Amino acid sequence: MAMDELTREFLIESQEGLDRMERCMTDLEERPKDGSLIGEIFRSVHTIKGTTGFLGFKRLEKLAHAGENLLGLLREGKLVADRPIITGLLQLLDGLRLILKSIEAESSEGDGEDTELIGRLEELQAPARALAMQAVQAKASPSPARPEQIPHEPVAAIAPSKPRPAPAPEPAELAPAAAEAEGDATKPRAAQAAAGAAADSTLRVDVALLNRMMNLVGELVLTRNQVLQATSADPNMTVLSRRLDMVTADLRESVMKARMQPVSNIFSKIPRIVRDLSLGLGRKVRLQVEGQDTELDKSLLEAIKDPLTHAVRNSLDHGIEPPEVRQAAGKDPEGTLKLRASQEGSHVVIEVSDDGAGIAVEKVRAKAVERGLISSERASGLGERELLQLIFLPGFSTAASVTNVSGRGVGMDVVRTNVEKIGGKVEIDSRPGKGTTLRMRIPLTLAIIPALIVRSLNQSFALPQGALFELVHIPEDEVKAAIEWMEGAPLYRLRGKLLPLVFLDRLLRPGGEYADFSKRDNFIAVLDADGRRFGLVVDGLADPEEIVVKPLSAVLKEIGLYSGATMLGNAELALILDPSAIALKAGISMSREEEGACAAEENGESDAAQSLEYLLVEVGGRQAAVPLKDVLRIEQLPISRIEYIGYRAVLNFEGQLLPVEDTGGVLGEAADNSATAEGSQRQIVVVVCREGQRHVGIAVSHVLDVVAGGDLFEAGTRARTGGVTLLKNRVTAVVDLSVVAPLPAVEEAHAEWAEAAV
Amino acid sequence: MSTATAVKRKQKAAETFVEMCSVRVGQTMFGVPITHILEIVGSARPQPVPLAPEFVGGLVHYRGDVLTTVSLRHLLGLGPKDGPQDILVLESAGGCFGLLVDSVGEVLTVSSADHEPNPSILDERRRALFAGAYKLKDSLLVMLDPERLEPMRLGQADRAAARS
Repeated sequence: MAMDELTREFLIESQEGLDRMERCMTDLEERPKDGSLIGEIFRSVHTIKGTTGFLGFKRLEKLAHAGENLLGLLREGKLVADRPIITGLLQLLDGLRLILKSIEAESSEGDGEDTELIGRLEELQAPARALAMQAVQAKASPSPARPEQIPHEPVAAIAPSKPRPAPAPEPAELAPAAAEAEGDATKPRAAQAAAGAAADSTLRVDVALLNRMMNLVGELVLTRNQVLQATSADPNMTVLSRRLDMVTADLRESVMKARMQPVSNIFSKIPRIVRDLSLGLGRKVRLQVEGQDTELDKSLLEAIKDPLTHAVRNSLDHGIEPPEVRQAAGKDPEGTLKLRASQEGSHVVIEVSDDGAGIAVEKVRAKAVERGLISSERASGLGERELLQLIFLPGFSTAASVTNVSGRGVGMDVVRTNVEKIGGKVEIDSRPGKGTTLRMRIPLTLAIIPALIVRSLNQSFALPQGALFELVHIPEDEVKAAIEWMEGAPLYRLRGKLLPLVFLDRLLRPGGEYADFSKRDNFIAVLDADGRRFGLVVDGLADPEEIVVKPLSAVLKEIGLYSGATMLGNAELALILDPSAIALKAGISMSREEEGACAAEENGESDAAQSLEYLLVEVGGRQAAVPLKDVLRIEQLPISRIEYIGYRAVLNFEGQLLPVEDTGGVLGEAADNSATAEGSQRQIVVVVCREGQRHVGIAVSHVLDVVAGGDLFEAGTRARTGGVTLLKNRVTAVVDLSVVAPLPAVEEAHAEWAEAAV
Repeated sequence: MSTATAVKRKQKAAETFVEMCSVRVGQTMFGVPITHILEIVGSARPQPVPLAPEFVGGLVHYRGDVLTTVSLRHLLGLGPKDGPQDILVLESAGGCFGLLVDSVGEVLTVSSADHEPNPSILDERRRALFAGAYKLKDSLLVMLDPERLEPMRLGQADRAAARS
């Protein structure tokens, strides 16, 4: 089915025009008098009409023509874009899209009938037709009718006789609209000129070519890795290979950038969905969109389109209440749906939040039990956050009835599966009566991923870092004691909890002979696969590497354990392991109850298990403990990064100020040595913790371990003591985070500045 | 009798010549039409893939892609060979794949007149793999059809065999 260049060009252009039109359309609903919007829409349709006539697509031309007539009247201000008109225009948009799709697929317009739609579009012009006639009559009168004068009087005259009962636009409103439209007559030209300039500096590139470029860059990254490894010992090559390293990194970034598209490409479809659904469901919804310019790899953008639509549907159907209910609850009858995209490091976060009813956790509990997803005893023991996780289970739905919008129980699990398929994560947050927020974390790119290289069977395998939680080293002499067996099932006690183990060699060579694992060092990679946590036992670890994912042939994909292959820096091929497939194969399909428990552990909300765990640190020669649940991360940085506000040590972390507590005098000691150039590069360790809503840092000398602590009781009274805990049989002080004084708030700062200014 | 007439008819038809790359596996010489060969990679050591079907000889890196190889030795029921093997990179309808052979020989030009279909005494497995043979002056050149060696197709055949 060969398509000539001209038609292809036309299709692309029309598609873009219609996308623009769709974006304008939803804006138009808010600002029906915006002449530039109408102008833009008019141009899109007009261009299509013009080109179709030339290419001989009669059906398309007829439809576009009908639309153009209506839009022409809008542009001249003889009509106001009220709801029925916008609905009509949206139908026109769909109609045009349908024909374009047919042209693309079959090179013909298809044999559908558009008379009904065209009729509707003509009907919408009816009042204007009357208006036009009036205008003609007015023209007949002596004044040399200057066009801009026409709207004023005739409109006033026509208003009472409007045949449509639609929310009649006030004549007073109409007049300025006309004036505006007329005033805008010069604008389109300027806009066109701007668009022309943009077109000159941009270029359409085939996605296939970009994919090829990405592959080649991947190749280059591999070669670079090999060159770096091969030349690391040769001082003469260091400068050259460093340069190669830099250029490769830059090139990779540029090619990746070329594949990036703003999320507005998919966000632009949402207003339409919101509009149609809120009309259908009888909701009043205001849509707020933020961070439209955030960019994401094209293929990933495609992949999150469906989950995003799903999430929006869910928010409208289950989240935002009908206006009466909202009013009764003392809320604005108009609900707000917020779409927000932002980049956080190597991830893009997309949030869909509503200010609706939130998720009724009790209902979730009841429903999950009713559907047999979880036992009632288990359910009664779950906290709020764990219950929220249940909505991601397949087959879950709280909707009492199945509507055509949602409630078929294939919603949230699909969202999660789709997002996880591309290496992302989904989180949900909900407050009853206040609203729900769904957060999707999407990696920026797919083709190159960070991975840990592990060894087993004398071969290298790559484990995606995304699934890796921690690594545990078991030295040879401890193996026997550390790995416990329960009826043939190997287990490891990870901070007091039993972790099921999978031996990679046994999994990959069932029934074969393996080296005796008790006579060697073992490494446990603690993995998380769809909420199932398990340990993968491997013989050895190599460096983490950024790997380029290469697809496997169908016959190897069928094995199910590998998600691809890659070439390592040492030119060895490595298979990329798929953690969830390993869990499945090894039978770590935990019962759903366990899954609940896992979720509980993950969320750190079931304090019973977690509050007993502490990060053991050394501060100025003494040991102290920080509750593990409060620890966000541990940063190692040069002392020069610490700055001072007065006497307060602060850390400027990604643009945010973090107060750093220095009870042990670690900073002071390090700062004393920092006078020398060498001293200023000295590394210090800051434990970043969560304290209520804020984050605080604690300067420590070393991080020692993570240990389970026991409560201490005062002799005689048996009262639980605060501030200390029993760690490794030593009484250890627990750092009280709440004593870290807050940083001066804005008002105070203002006051200080004011004083300083005086 | 019927074979005799078939041979006669063939001789009557215009004789065409095909270029075949000869490869050796075990004691047998095989031929692959050079039109199907993309490249010959010498002395490669494919990376084994645990849990893969047995006929898979492993993975090799080939021009930025990872290529699945098929071990002809294994298909013929021969034991594994120590040391590096040669790989023919073949193109088939299902994509590219590598064919692991003991060694690659010269390119021979054979005449269609010398071609004969698989003899009936071959076992079924071999009959499925071979596409007849060419009679050379002092030996036979067994013809291989890349389409029949495609990993996906072999996998399906394996499964079918396992079912029956």
